[in-house]
Amino acid sequence: MQSIVHVCLAGLSSGMFIWLVASGLTLIFGVLGVLNFAHGSFYMLGAYFSYTVLRHLFPNFWLGLLLGPLCVCAVGFVVERFFLRYVYRLALPYQLLLTFAFVLIFDNLVKIVWGAGSLTPPDIGFLAGSVPILGRKFPVYNLFIIGVGPLVAVALWLALERTWAGRIVRAASSDREMASAIGVRVPALYTGVFVFGIWLGALGGGLAVPYVGLLTPGMGETIIIEAFIVAVIGGLGSLKGAFLAALVLGVLSSFGTRYFPAFDMFLTFILMAAVLLVRPQGLFGDAR
Amino acid sequence: MSMGNVLLETRKLSNWFGKICTARELDLAFEEGVLTSIIGPNGAGKSTLVNLLTGNLPVQAGSVLFRGKDITRFPIHKRVRMGVCRSFQILNIFPQLSVLRNVMIPVLARSGRSMRPFAGISGEKAVLRESEELLEKVGLSRVRDSVAGALSHGDQRLLEVGVALAAAPVLLFLDEPTAGMNPVERVRLLESIRELSRGGRSTFVLIEHDMDIVFSLSDRVIVLHRGEVIGDGPPDEIRENARVREVYLGDEMTDVFRITGEE
Amino acid sequence: MPDDRVTGRLLRAIAVLAFVAALASVPLFAGKFVIYLAMRVMILGIFALGYNLLLGGTGLLSFGHGAFYAAGAYGLGFFSLHLSPNPLLGVAAGIAAAMLLALLIGFFSVRSTEIYFAMLTLAFGMMVFSLIWNARDITGGDDGLIGIMRESIPLFGGVKISISQDSRYYFLVLFFFLLSFWAVHRIRNSPFGLVLAGIRENAKRTEFAGLAVRNYRLAAFVISGAFAGLAGSLETLLESNARPFMAHWTHSAEPVLVSLLGGIQTLTGPVVGSILFVAMREIVQRFTENWMLWFGIVLLVIIMGFRGGVVGVVRQLADRARGPRGG
Repeated sequence: MQSIVHVCLAGLSSGMFIWLVASGLTLIFGVLGVLNFAHGSFYMLGAYFSYTVLRHLFPNFWLGLLLGPLCVCAVGFVVERFFLRYVYRLALPYQLLLTFAFVLIFDNLVKIVWGAGSLTPPDIGFLAGSVPILGRKFPVYNLFIIGVGPLVAVALWLALERTWAGRIVRAASSDREMASAIGVRVPALYTGVFVFGIWLGALGGGLAVPYVGLLTPGMGETIIIEAFIVAVIGGLGSLKGAFLAALVLGVLSSFGTRYFPAFDMFLTFILMAAVLLVRPQGLFGDAR
Repeated sequence: MSMGNVLLETRKLSNWFGKICTARELDLAFEEGVLTSIIGPNGAGKSTLVNLLTGNLPVQAGSVLFRGKDITRFPIHKRVRMGVCRSFQILNIFPQLSVLRNVMIPVLARSGRSMRPFAGISGEKAVLRESEELLEKVGLSRVRDSVAGALSHGDQRLLEVGVALAAAPVLLFLDEPTAGMNPVERVRLLESIRELSRGGRSTFVLIEHDMDIVFSLSDRVIVLHRGEVIGDGPPDEIRENARVREVYLGDEMTDVFRITGEE
Repeated sequence: MPDDRVTGRLLRAIAVLAFVAALASVPLFAGKFVIYLAMRVMILGIFALGYNLLLGGTGLLSFGHGAFYAAGAYGLGFFSLHLSPNPLLGVAAGIAAAMLLALLIGFFSVRSTEIYFAMLTLAFGMMVFSLIWNARDITGGDDGLIGIMRESIPLFGGVKISISQDSRYYFLVLFFFLLSFWAVHRIRNSPFGLVLAGIRENAKRTEFAGLAVRNYRLAAFVISGAFAGLAGSLETLLESNARPFMAHWTHSAEPVLVSLLGGIQTLTGPVVGSILFVAMREIVQRFTENWMLWFGIVLLVIIMGFRGGVVGVVRQLADRARGPRGG
C-alpha cells in the first residue's frame, strides 16, 4: 500500500512535466495547425536558461523560473516570426522538418555552450528536503510539482474560456478565415500563441532544473516523444485530453519502472495502441 | 432499360448537425432510368442526403438499401464497387495528374488490376482505351495530357463528372455539376448528361439550382426543405405544388433563381 | 515532340549506364575508405528510395522507419547467429522480419493520416527501440548484436563466393542497390503506383474511385518497410553488428532528410540526397564535432528556399536553360 502510493505520487510528478510540454504543444497545434517537433528543445532551453540564471546571475529559484522561460520566449519569437510563419501553407513534411531542423540546431548549441554531460542542480532553498507520507519520505519538490500542474491547467482553462483573448484564440483555432474576417490580426495572434506555448514548455524545463540527472542535452528528445504520445492519446488539440493522458502516462510508467523495469516504456506504447484501436481520434479528439 | 426497378432506397433516414435536423425520417426510392433532380433552398439537406447515400457521412439513424441489400454501414469504396458513385460540388479531382490519369484511376479500380506493383502502366491497353473513350464522351480528349489543375474551370468541372463516370456507376449523384460554369458550358454539360441518361448505363440524380434546367431535364423532382420532402413527382406536378411554391416564394425566392455561377 | 522524347530517353539510358559503370568501377581504383563510404551511400539510398515510395508516393510522413531498418538488421543477425550463416537467406529473413513488423505497425497507423500518422509511427518506432534496448538477454541491449560474420554465398554445385573482403561485398550491395532502384522505378510507373499518386493527390476521390485507400496505404507502408529491412540487413553484414539506435527516431528521420535534400517528387532525389548526406557528414565531421548544427542549418535553407531539393533545383535550371517553354 505504502509503496503503491509513493509510486503513484512519483508518477504524478513526472506526469506534470509531460503535461507542461504537451499543453504548449497542443495549444500550438490547435491554433496554428503545426506540430512543433522542437517543443522538447524549448523545454530543454528553458531548463538550461533557468539553470544559468540561478547559478550565475541571481541565486533565487523563483527568479530563475521567471527569467529563464522569458529568454526562451524570445527565441520562440524569432523562430515563429522569421521561419515558421513562411511554412504554414506548405505540406506537413515541410512544417515538421522545419521544426526538426531547430531540434538539431538547439540540441547541438546546448552541447557547445553547456557541455555534453549532465549538470548538477543548484540549491533551491525551502523546496529541498522531504516530508513523510505513510511513513516514508517523499521529496517536497515533487509535491510542489504536483501542485503546479493542475494550477497551470486551471489557469489555462480560465484564460481560454473566460477572457477576451481566450475567445479570440478559440475562434481562430476553429476557423482561421472567419477569425480574420471579423478583424483578428491572425499573424500577430499566431506569434502570440506560439510564444505562449513555448513559454509553457520552457516553464516545464525551468521546473525540471532541481532534478538530479535530468539536465542533459538529450532531455528534450525524451520528453517530446512522451508529449507526442500524450497528445495522441488525449486527442490532438484537446488540452483536457492532454492533461488526463499525461497523468495516466506518468503514473503508468512510474509503475512500469518500479515493477517491470525492462519494459517501462513498452507499457506506454501498449496503452497508446489500445486507445487508438478503440478511438483512433484519441480520447477527446474530434471524430474525423 | 427497365424502369420501375428500384436501385436505392432509404428507410427513415435521419441526420442532425447538433440540433439542426438535415434529414428527417426520409423514405425515398430511386428507380433505374429515372433522371431525378433534388432541389431545395440552401440548408435544405440536399448535400447531406447525397453524403449519407454515398457513404461520405456516417448514417446516424435509419438505413440505406441498394437493390434490396442493406448498405448503411458500407464504406465508400464498397458502395462505389456496387455502383453508387458521385461528383462533388467543390472540385475533387487529382490536380497534379494528367487528365487521362485522372480517369484512369477509377477505370483501373474496376479492372481489378490496381494492386499490380510491377506491371507497366502503359501496358494496360484495355484500361487506356476505355479511359480515352470516356474522355471522348465528356469532351476532354483535346486536353488528355494536360495537368488537371491547369485546366479552365469549365474543363475541370467536366473532369469532375468524368472521373465519377469512369467508375461506371449504376447510380450517379451529381452535386451541382454546373457550379461556376458559363451558360454555354452549362448547356453543353447538361446535354451530355441527358444523352448519357438515355444511353441507359447509368441513372442520374442531380442536385441543381437552375430551375429551367431542372424542369426541362428531369423525369422526377424531389423538393427538400429543412430535411423533409415537401414535394416529389414529375416536374409539372411540382410546379403546381402549393407547399413548394410557398417555400420558394417566401424570402427564399431569390435562392431559386440565383445564378449558381456567382458562388 | 516525339524527337524530344526519343532523345530524352536516350540521354537517360546513357546517364543510367554511366552511373552504373562508375559505381561498378569504384573498387577498381578507389581506396578502402571510399569503397566503404560508397556502400554506406548505397545502403542509405535503398532505405531512402523505399521510404520515398511512401512519402513522395502517397504523401504519408513516417517517423518510424528506423524500426523496420532495425528489424532487418536484427532479423539477419538472429538468423545468421542461430539458423544459418548464408548471407542471402539472412537478408531474406531480415526483409521478412521488417515486412511483418511493418504490417503490424502499419495496421494501427494507416488508420490515421497526416500528423497523427507521423506521431503514431514515431511512437511505435520508439517502442521497438525501447524493446531492443531493454531486452538485453536477447538483443544485447545497448551493446547491440555482435559477432555477425560475413560468410560466403553458397551457389549450386558447391561453388562459393566469398564476400568477406569489403571490395567483394561491395558488389552484393551494388546488386541490391540496382535491384531496389529498378523496383522502385517499376512501382512508380505501375497501376499500383498510379493509385498511390491518386491517394497523395486526393484520398477522398480515390475512395470514390472504388478503392480501399487504407489497404493501399498499408501495402505501400509494408513495401517501404521491406526496403528499410533490406538496407538494415545490408548494414549489419557490412558492420558485422546490429545496434538499437537503428530503431531510434533520429535514424528514422534520416530517409526523410535525405529525400527532402534530393527532392521528394523524383525517383533520383533520394539517391542524390544520400550521396550528399554521406558526403556532407564526412566532410563536416572532419572539421568539427558539431555536425548536427550544420545539418540543421542546411535543412533550414532547403525548407525556406529550395523545396524541390537538389534534383528539383537542377531540373528548374535545366528547364530555364532550354528556353521559354513554360511549366
